[in-house]
Amino acid sequence: MSQGILLFIEQRDGVLNRTSFEAMVAAQGIASATGEKLSAAVLGKAIDAVAAEVAAKKVDAVHTVEDDKLSEYTPDGYVAALKQVVAKLDPRFVILSHTYQVRDFAPRLAASLGKTFVTDCVGFRVEGNEVAFTRQIFQGKINTDVRVVAEPPILASFQAGAYRADKAEAGDSPAPIAAFAIDLTDVQIRTQLEPKFQEAKQAVDLSQAPLIVAVGRGIKSQENIEMVQKLAQAMGAEIAASRPICDNEWLPMDRQIGSSGQTVSPKLYLAVGISGAIQHVVGMKNSQTIVAINKDGEAPIFDIADYGIVGDLFDIVPALTAEINRIKNEGS
Amino acid sequence: MTIERETLEMDVLLVGAGPANLACALQLSKLIAAHNERAGQSGSKQLDEVNIAVIEKAAEIGAHQLSGAVLDPISLRELIPDFEKEGAPLEAPVGEEHVYFLTERGKIPLPILPPPLRNHGNFVVSLNKLTRWLGEKCEAAGVNIFPEFPGAEMLYDGDAVIGVRTGDKGIDKTGKPKPNFEPGVDITAKVTVLGEGVRGSLAKQLINRLKLDSGGDPQVYSVGIKELWEMPDDRFAPGSVIHTMGWPLDSHTFGGSWVYGMRDRLIDIGLAVGLDYRDPRIDPHHEFQLFKTHPLIKELLSGGKLIRYGAKAMPVGGWYTMPQLTSDGVMIIGDSAGMLNGERLKGIHTAIKAGMLAAETIMDALIRSDFSRSTLGVFDKKLRDSYVGSELYKARNFHQAFDRGRMFGLITEGVSVLTGGRLPSRLPIKAGHKHLQKLTGSDNDSRDNGDNRYAGLKYDDKLTFDKLTDVYYSATHHDEDQPAHLKVADLNICIDQCASEFGNPCQNFCPANVYEMVEAGDGKRRLQINFSNCVHCKTCDIMDPYQIIDWVPPEGGGGPNYRNM
Repeated sequence: MSQGILLFIEQRDGVLNRTSFEAMVAAQGIASATGEKLSAAVLGKAIDAVAAEVAAKKVDAVHTVEDDKLSEYTPDGYVAALKQVVAKLDPRFVILSHTYQVRDFAPRLAASLGKTFVTDCVGFRVEGNEVAFTRQIFQGKINTDVRVVAEPPILASFQAGAYRADKAEAGDSPAPIAAFAIDLTDVQIRTQLEPKFQEAKQAVDLSQAPLIVAVGRGIKSQENIEMVQKLAQAMGAEIAASRPICDNEWLPMDRQIGSSGQTVSPKLYLAVGISGAIQHVVGMKNSQTIVAINKDGEAPIFDIADYGIVGDLFDIVPALTAEINRIKNEGS
Repeated sequence: MTIERETLEMDVLLVGAGPANLACALQLSKLIAAHNERAGQSGSKQLDEVNIAVIEKAAEIGAHQLSGAVLDPISLRELIPDFEKEGAPLEAPVGEEHVYFLTERGKIPLPILPPPLRNHGNFVVSLNKLTRWLGEKCEAAGVNIFPEFPGAEMLYDGDAVIGVRTGDKGIDKTGKPKPNFEPGVDITAKVTVLGEGVRGSLAKQLINRLKLDSGGDPQVYSVGIKELWEMPDDRFAPGSVIHTMGWPLDSHTFGGSWVYGMRDRLIDIGLAVGLDYRDPRIDPHHEFQLFKTHPLIKELLSGGKLIRYGAKAMPVGGWYTMPQLTSDGVMIIGDSAGMLNGERLKGIHTAIKAGMLAAETIMDALIRSDFSRSTLGVFDKKLRDSYVGSELYKARNFHQAFDRGRMFGLITEGVSVLTGGRLPSRLPIKAGHKHLQKLTGSDNDSRDNGDNRYAGLKYDDKLTFDKLTDVYYSATHHDEDQPAHLKVADLNICIDQCASEFGNPCQNFCPANVYEMVEAGDGKRRLQINFSNCVHCKTCDIMDPYQIIDWVPPEGGGGPNYRNM
């Protein structure tokens, strides 16, 4: 008789993927509603730290599945290892988080086990001893409850964000961690691993900046941007720009705000010489406080600004910078 | 860079999922099914499975379809006899119709409704909706439709067409392949049908290479600027039709407006501007915004909300501008072949009929296993002998009559209508861009020009909208990291010649703000191409006075989203 719930924990380079804790919330919920025991499996090599982190949560056991062939993720390795784990533990449910990695190996795992895989669930319901998984269909317009009538184990993955990782219950005492013996000698890893792809680091993530000073066409030339940069510096703000500035390469593309750039919602957004075309506005309209400086009183930016100055930015910006610096010096 | 490309073998390849090609594919499937059933009963040879494929540059069928429109149901009735029961998404039968000549403040109703503009028995439709529905019918009949696949190049064997190469995906703006690079596929077919709509890019290549337009007149075009408005009440009944001429267009600029009542309290309103105007400072988008300030329209739209914007050119040259429609292994149908009736402002029913006739021709070719011009060429005659031919022939001098101005045109057109099209001669016509008159003296930069005809136009974001705001409402979107799909053969001409001769009219005739002359430092200027704004209307390819702009399809999937347009 199959029993227990097996939770798959994802890790990379010894760092736990936090969405696994989201799946854990679901797994813990199913465990307490059905009375089944919950164990977690971590695959890889040199994963003791990850295992310890998992063991601190409310689980009944943590299995470390280590092998040289699991030191880097490959679908062949993970499927082979998990097949053995599932065969030995014979769980009722295998719970995973619906990440890219899970999407890569879990369908194959399910197919090779000949078992059902209910994917991208947003919830679950337990009635008596029956578990139904909630899935969305028609591009999120309808929720369906899926009850699996096939033989266990039943695999189910949960959508990122369906649960909150910080809701994973902590255990009263660390769960027992045990090495799970598997044998991958006959397993052929067909994937040839390339060097890891490193995304180009962006100089700045404007979406994290609490204060932004953005400059638009009103600045007239590249030389004048320095004046706005001084203001941003004085305020401790990040500098950003509307599209024409970036098209001219006066500021790099990653500083662009708008429909073809970044969307931001900082505490303060100061728009200098920006008219407020809709393509720019959609990138910043949710800013908490919007201040605009523009010599055209009819500029659409004033429709969304909380405070505005209709005037010449070449007078106003240096004056603003001077005043801010004066206040800072007085205070110090 | 030598790229290895996959080859996909099809029997019939149709480029462009518009009404012409979808009607062709649907009709062909029906003809094949009927043939095989008869053959099965009589014991004669059935056709082996015929693979029909339609490729479309948009992300979904219908996304790039834009028209008024008022549909003459004659050909739809032939294609799908019980189309109402089959759920054809028609807005409403045409009800109240009005035609006005507008002056700046007033309107003069025309004493009689000119016969070509009589729409009794016709339907107000959204071409986007109609095309989506036709697409569903095609897919149900087993036709393969591939959205996000633009046709980039014709494939030839000598002068015979053997298929089409689709566009590459994943090229960055410097022309280098990105990690997601996918080379275009070579789709081979026994016959390729080009139904790319107005100024089709493959049709342009084909017609030039095989000189299919020698002996005919150059095609002439209008551009339609359209907005969809949502009203708070039922003031404009579905099926209501208004057409206007006159203000704000000057007497040398051909064009007129339409206002159609759609369902769900939507008003479909637009202005067509002939792309053979003389003043290079004319801006069709601005003309349309001006038009909306006329008291008749302002009152109609007050309290309403703009929900969508779009623009598309249309071929209005008619009969004498149609190229040779077939060659070995290829056919051209619909707007790509200039089958729109400019007098009635209708091209959808002719496109559908042309598609059906093309299907008959292809059926014949399939049975004979011969796809050379000798078999396919029957289509040219079939079309000219059909009601498409007869109505296009009757309207053959329509646009040409306006070549010398509105008064001359109206008189000539009046005579033409009264005599059923019998005018003494075939009126001459020249390509639209050749009508542009050079600027004189100090009119150097049309944007800064003092006597700007649009000086009184103020955008209030309630009734009138500037180009950039309107573009936003076209929902157009392109991957930024790709080469610009507007190929300008010589950028120096823009600065050295065009600036002084015409004032860089691309900034004016493009309804999407794609072209901008910007400062380049050192007091110089350069042409900036904001290709991601492009709504695929083809106006630039048509109207550029030096004919150095070549519009090619961008990476598949990019472009506007004309839902319900």
